[in-house]
Amino acid sequence: MDPSYYIVLSAALFTIGAVGVLIRRNAIVVFMCIELMLNAANLALITFSRMNGSLDGQIMAFFVMVVAAAEVVIGLAIIMSIFRTRRSASVDDANLLKY
Amino acid sequence: MSKFPFLTLLVTLPLLGALILAFFPRSAGELAKRFALVWTLVVFALTVGAWLAFKAGGDRFQLKDDYPWIPQWGVRFTFEVDGIALVMVALIGLLVPLIVVASWKTVEALDGNRSVPAYFALLLALQGMMIGVFAASDVLLFYVFFEAMLVPMYFLIGSYGSHQRRQYAAVKFFLYSLVGGLFMLAAVIGLWVLGGNTFDWHTLVEAEFTTWAERWMFLGFFVAFAIKAPFFPFHTWLPDAGSAAPAPAAALLVAVMDKVGTFGILRYCLSLFPNASKYFAPLAIALALVGIIYGALLAVGQNDLKRLVSYTSIAHFGFIGIGIFAFTTQAGSGAVLYMLNHGLATGLLFLVVGFLVARRGSASIKDFGGAGKLVPWLSGVFFIAGMASLALPGTSPFVSEFLVLLGVFAVNKTVAVIATLGIVLAAAYVLWMYQRTMQGTLNPALNEVPAMKKDLSVRELAVVAPLIGLILFLGFYPKPVLDVINPAVQATFTQDLGVSDPAPKSEAKK
Amino acid sequence: MTFKLPAIDYLALAPMLVLFGAACAGVLVDALVPREWRYHVQVPLSLVALLASGGFVVALANRKEHVVTAGSAVVIDGPGLFLQGSIVVLGIVALFLVAERRLEPGGAFVAQAAVVAGSEADRKQMRKPGVTEVYPMMLFALAGMMLFCSANDLLTMFVALEVFSLPLYLLCALARRRRLLSQEAAVKYFLLGAFASAFFLYGVAMIYGYAGKVDFRGINEAVLGSSNSKTLLLIGLAMLAIGLLFKVAAVPFHVWTPDVYQGAPTPITAFMAACTKVAAFGGLLRVLYVAFERSSWDFRPTLGVIAAATMIVGAVLAVTQTDIKRLLAYSSVANAGYLLTGTLSMNRDGLKYTMFYLVAYGFTVLAAFAIVMLVRDSDGEATHLARWAGLGRRSPVFASLFTFLMLAFAGIPLTSGFTAKFGVFAAAVGGNMTWLVIIGVLSSMILAFPYLRVVVLMWLSVPGDDTPTVSVPGAFTAAALFVGVAMTLVLGVAPNQALELVNDAGAFLR
Repeated sequence: MDPSYYIVLSAALFTIGAVGVLIRRNAIVVFMCIELMLNAANLALITFSRMNGSLDGQIMAFFVMVVAAAEVVIGLAIIMSIFRTRRSASVDDANLLKY
Repeated sequence: MSKFPFLTLLVTLPLLGALILAFFPRSAGELAKRFALVWTLVVFALTVGAWLAFKAGGDRFQLKDDYPWIPQWGVRFTFEVDGIALVMVALIGLLVPLIVVASWKTVEALDGNRSVPAYFALLLALQGMMIGVFAASDVLLFYVFFEAMLVPMYFLIGSYGSHQRRQYAAVKFFLYSLVGGLFMLAAVIGLWVLGGNTFDWHTLVEAEFTTWAERWMFLGFFVAFAIKAPFFPFHTWLPDAGSAAPAPAAALLVAVMDKVGTFGILRYCLSLFPNASKYFAPLAIALALVGIIYGALLAVGQNDLKRLVSYTSIAHFGFIGIGIFAFTTQAGSGAVLYMLNHGLATGLLFLVVGFLVARRGSASIKDFGGAGKLVPWLSGVFFIAGMASLALPGTSPFVSEFLVLLGVFAVNKTVAVIATLGIVLAAAYVLWMYQRTMQGTLNPALNEVPAMKKDLSVRELAVVAPLIGLILFLGFYPKPVLDVINPAVQATFTQDLGVSDPAPKSEAKK
Repeated sequence: MTFKLPAIDYLALAPMLVLFGAACAGVLVDALVPREWRYHVQVPLSLVALLASGGFVVALANRKEHVVTAGSAVVIDGPGLFLQGSIVVLGIVALFLVAERRLEPGGAFVAQAAVVAGSEADRKQMRKPGVTEVYPMMLFALAGMMLFCSANDLLTMFVALEVFSLPLYLLCALARRRRLLSQEAAVKYFLLGAFASAFFLYGVAMIYGYAGKVDFRGINEAVLGSSNSKTLLLIGLAMLAIGLLFKVAAVPFHVWTPDVYQGAPTPITAFMAACTKVAAFGGLLRVLYVAFERSSWDFRPTLGVIAAATMIVGAVLAVTQTDIKRLLAYSSVANAGYLLTGTLSMNRDGLKYTMFYLVAYGFTVLAAFAIVMLVRDSDGEATHLARWAGLGRRSPVFASLFTFLMLAFAGIPLTSGFTAKFGVFAAAVGGNMTWLVIIGVLSSMILAFPYLRVVVLMWLSVPGDDTPTVSVPGAFTAAALFVGVAMTLVLGVAPNQALELVNDAGAFLR
């Protein structure tokens, strides 16, 4: 099977993630969309690894997974703290800072 | 060549004095005044020394002091003066002590509790930077002083201005000058890159540029100087700044600081970009002519004494402008002499107006009327200053105006004729101003103001006497100054610009 | 199957290893040491770690031996060391601000961030000393920044990006006062930051697909040599650029900047403004100069437009601000534009002067935020500009210092702002990006206005009843302020040493 299909899939996932970040309003959902984008990148890395015939891409995917896990910890902590204060995770409600 | 570092001291000494004054406590106002006076007198003595050390027939540039600064960029502290710069430095050296004396009561007269030592510190800082501007022969050093000079002046206008609109005026002054300065910065950067990574004026004069690069860089410098001078479309900051600044600072602003513009055109625009200067000369002359007429007409219509004097300056700068861009030695010498004489005459006029305004508490012409009966001496001095400003024969501005017109007439009669109109208008605004304030029936309101009954004090007399003396002396015998100026002007026009004086009949192709 | 472990030059990595080690130790300190002792252990620990790290940087710089180590993941070369050194020095100054506890009982950080803002428990912890996790987090961030500047492949760069970003997201959320703003800033910063790193990562994947490698030398060879579709390269480069431009706060990726600068605790804002900028530009410089130099024809026009937009938008929006922290945020956006101008010259001068600019700007901005920390009333910092009116009368010393810093931001000569701008603009003219310089000069004119407005407010307005006082700084803030102002002056008046350093740093190792 032509590995380039996986690139198309990865691009589709990335786009879905990016659009999700821009249009969804719940911070948790936005955050999940970002995770989707990271995983799309992982898929692309692994596919290119196969296409280029080197293992580097797969190793990179492991690194990305670790980094993404760290990001989840930090992100959820911040979102939790603001959720406990406001009882809402909508990014539209967080509007004290403007202009 | 003398080994004594005159110019270095002339730049650093006032700055050092300013630093010392900045540490004076607020309460030490009286001490600060005395200190400033003594300090500026020492600087004046140094100026006299520099004048004597300068050999009128010698090299074009003398009194050179040179120290390394930023070797990576080829920036050096290079101070040296030609005749033109020397005259301006001497003017600063002479005027600032007088302005210190004239400011003796200025700060206290203002409402609010403002620091006296800070005022004199700013004045001294301004003096050092202005001398630096004229003495620098490193382009970046010049630019540094050119910009840094704004800061003390900004605070003099903004913090010590009497006018309600002083904030507006100070900001306008600063922004106009800064905008000009940034145009110049762009040109300075271009000059550095295209001129071989050096800022040395002598090297850059030799450098060759492409036509377009030269024109753009000329415009960068010219806009900065035209704002500073100020020439016609860039002038609107001057009346505001002039009327809002305390009168002594305004005298310094108009008499010396604005000359940086015309000096810069002579030293930098013409010498560094000769071809572009020739290309843009008609434009510059047109602007200058408009300035002469426009400034004079607006001066006629003013009701505020300080604004009026500011507008007369715009007209006078027009004369200097046509003198420079006529590209003849005669007109050029006239223009440089005009820079000096305008400094003396307008400086005097501003100071006298300051005395009047301080007494009356208002700068509006309507608030005066027949004041000559109350203060005959003051009105006499005011008259002399006015006559000098309209260039009456016998006063020094006459010589310079005459030289400018003569030089311009040789190359372009139309310009000279239009400029002559300016003289007529000058007579109108000066005489009308004098008539409305000093002559006629006494404005009864003046009797209510006790200060209006006090004539010139000894202190005030000490301020005006040297200026009047110099105006009259140079009116009859300008030779000592012309001897210093002429070689420099000649070198600027013939060596750098490459024009020769036309025979009276030759057509100057523009 | 046997693995051959890559050789590691531990000395070359020592500056980062020291910081990572100290950061881990700091985490342990927070877990094991009694609460009242933590501050007194953490601050010296961080300081010693930073000093040791700085010492190693100096030692490595003297070794003059540039190495690629850790399996070609890290490169230690001249510019990398210079940037690492700058990050350490600026980090020490920022640490001073973070460690300040005199201004507010317990410091600028909340005692327990997990407590619901505004609740009863929150009010109770008002008086308790702030969290000490701040220090290890700062160390992690600093070490990550250093790694970011000396990463030799895109993966290391991505990891380093996250290592320095994650602590910063948390630090933003820790303000003692205005906790809601602080939390909101952290959420925004986190979501947008993670969004940008996702773009960066996808860019890495695309470049990997194009070049088959992610180390910079391999990419550089592949840029002209690879037979893969160039579309991959361009998409990858664009996405990498989005990730990096987000960190440097370039338009249109700047929207987080004002919110985060305003909401974060002021010492952290200062830390981000100074150190993150250095790291982000360090990374950008390396990516553009080492990996993609050969495709500069592809990215220079686009990035040029972004640089121009950054300068103009930053300057225009700065004009409309009413909060000093937001004003400084937009000023930081505009400064990112000037830095991009230097970066895009793509020549040796561009590298040199961008690095010089980073250092100069870092010190100035740290000092500026130090003063913002000092201007406060019973409700914490008074950041609204209207509250600053008349500050010059209340505390002339701090108002003078702030004025000086504003003049530095405006690029007035004799401040580091001028020398820095001159450097990047001259580099850009030399790199045929003159049009960017002209836009840069125009934006400087616009940007002068907000700075001037602050100066006018401080000096020329009469203090109102609610003009806050300027607190007496503790030793830490005083030290930070002194260093910041002194460096702003030194780099403006005598930048020789610093220019020598950037010159010696040489070029990136490929």
